[in-house]
Amino acid sequence: MTLPTVASEAPRLAVPPKPRRPRAALLGWVAAGLVVGAHLMAWSATEISLGNLVAGWQGMARFLAEAIPPDLSPQVLADSVAGALVTLWIGLLGTTLSIPASLALALLAARATTPAPGIYQAARGLLSFLRAVPDVVFALIFVTAVGLGPFPGVLALVCHNVGVMGKLWAETLEDADPAPAQALRSAGAGRLQVASHALLPSVTPQLIGLLLYRFDVNVRSSLVLGLVGAGGIGFLINQSIQLFQFDQMLTHILVVLVLIVVVDRVSAIVRRRLGSSA
Amino acid sequence: MLALTDIAVRYGDRDVLHGIDVTVAAGELLAVLGANGSGKSTLLRAAAGLAPTTAGTVTVDGRTRRNLDIALIFQQIHLVRRRSVLDNVCAGALGRLPLRRSLVPALFPRAVREEAMACLDRVGLAHRAHDRAGTLSGGQQQRVAIARALHQRAPVILADEPVSALDPAAAEQVLALLAELAHAENLAVLAVLHQPDLARRYANRLVGLRDGRIVLDGDPGQPVDSLYPSRALQEVP
Ligand SMILES: Nc1ncnc2c1ncn2[C@@H]1O[C@H](COP(=O)(O)OP(=O)(O)OP(=O)(O)O)[C@@H](O)[C@H]1O
Ligand SMILES: [Mg+2]
Repeated sequence: MTLPTVASEAPRLAVPPKPRRPRAALLGWVAAGLVVGAHLMAWSATEISLGNLVAGWQGMARFLAEAIPPDLSPQVLADSVAGALVTLWIGLLGTTLSIPASLALALLAARATTPAPGIYQAARGLLSFLRAVPDVVFALIFVTAVGLGPFPGVLALVCHNVGVMGKLWAETLEDADPAPAQALRSAGAGRLQVASHALLPSVTPQLIGLLLYRFDVNVRSSLVLGLVGAGGIGFLINQSIQLFQFDQMLTHILVVLVLIVVVDRVSAIVRRRLGSSA
Repeated sequence: MLALTDIAVRYGDRDVLHGIDVTVAAGELLAVLGANGSGKSTLLRAAAGLAPTTAGTVTVDGRTRRNLDIALIFQQIHLVRRRSVLDNVCAGALGRLPLRRSLVPALFPRAVREEAMACLDRVGLAHRAHDRAGTLSGGQQQRVAIARALHQRAPVILADEPVSALDPAAAEQVLALLAELAHAENLAVLAVLHQPDLARRYANRLVGLRDGRIVLDGDPGQPVDSLYPSRALQEVP
């Protein structure tokens, strides 16, 4: 058999007309209508006003004029870097101290490892609750309880992060290949043994990847926590705004930028290394 | 000895197995053959207590079957690919270890590791003990699974198509190993196969399944054509 050399000799078949689906079309229009309606409601509820933006323009310009150039005096820079480090440490501890509780709840909240359906539901419920309460709210609660400073920031991050990381880890465990687990179960291994010898080792890279991702997020969150009094550079930014020292505020923001970029790069590099060793 | 007596399995309103009587003696390799869907895997799962039996009993050496008595080997090998070969073999002993000696591999007692090494040596892979399981070839991984089964110290090994994913040379090697272990370690081995030729050469006995019933039982060299739908009779849709 010889292959056709001219394109027009290649076999062809007429494409049949697409079947009409009136129901799908109707649903599409309804969905589009709902989305537009939601935006109209949102527009009026958030009091969006271009007029106010234009009127506020001068204030914004004055603010920028005072902020530039940033105050790079050694004293301010040193404060700023020290604050940024505290922010970093809050993010770090907020992540690592939440590992034990996240792991325990993830194991209880994954179908393959939970001891009973009731416990599964309870663990899922607890995770949802911790996730639903924003870390800033936890921070406000802990600041009232233990006073201003980085410590309430760590507590707040741990609480919220257990909710998020526990959920992510539970999902990862549920997606793990069930076959090795089944093999061990049929050889008489118990639930914890199956988890530690079959399920966890097969998803370790994913779990660590998620941990690094949460570290990244938590460093950024701990900045916001500083704004409500939970220590770190966020606290300095808040202070400089209240004292109208906008040039110092800009210094802090630039230092934050460096911190965020560095954390982001490092965690990306580690995650890539993990991916290639999986 | 593994004995299945009058086993029936039903999924929904379909009887998948009826009146199954099979025994596998210690020291014997029994091959189970049959067309796709004839119930071979279900028979294995019933023997392992993983299928919903509606009738019948499974005994090992005259006593009611316990999970620990039966080691399973699968077509898709089911090792933990990211763990070392040695850790995978050690996992065979989990059923008889307390949690405080088995929660993580570092806690395994020395005796357990050394027994695992001996099992690995038995399948010719002692030199790969510290490699990741996922880096071995399919045939080697299946031999690691056999070592894990040995480490379980079960008197019965059930293997569902243990060589279907392997090339002919590796398939020969794995079946020869299973046959040799059955004889030397006095194990009752039941292996589902799709190759009558391998059954003839390595099995002591052959059981043929058709539509959930045993229609052949005996000499592994007997003709098995009756088990498979003949080409000439196949319906054209
Ligand atoms: N979990 C299940 N639920 C419902 N039906 C099932 C289930 N497992 C098996 N069956 C049915 O039981 C019959 C026998 O299946 P089984 O897997 O035992 O066949 P097999 O002989 O192992 O086939 P193969 O050679 O393809 O592996 C099939 O018709 C299958 O559809
Ligand atoms: Mg099968």
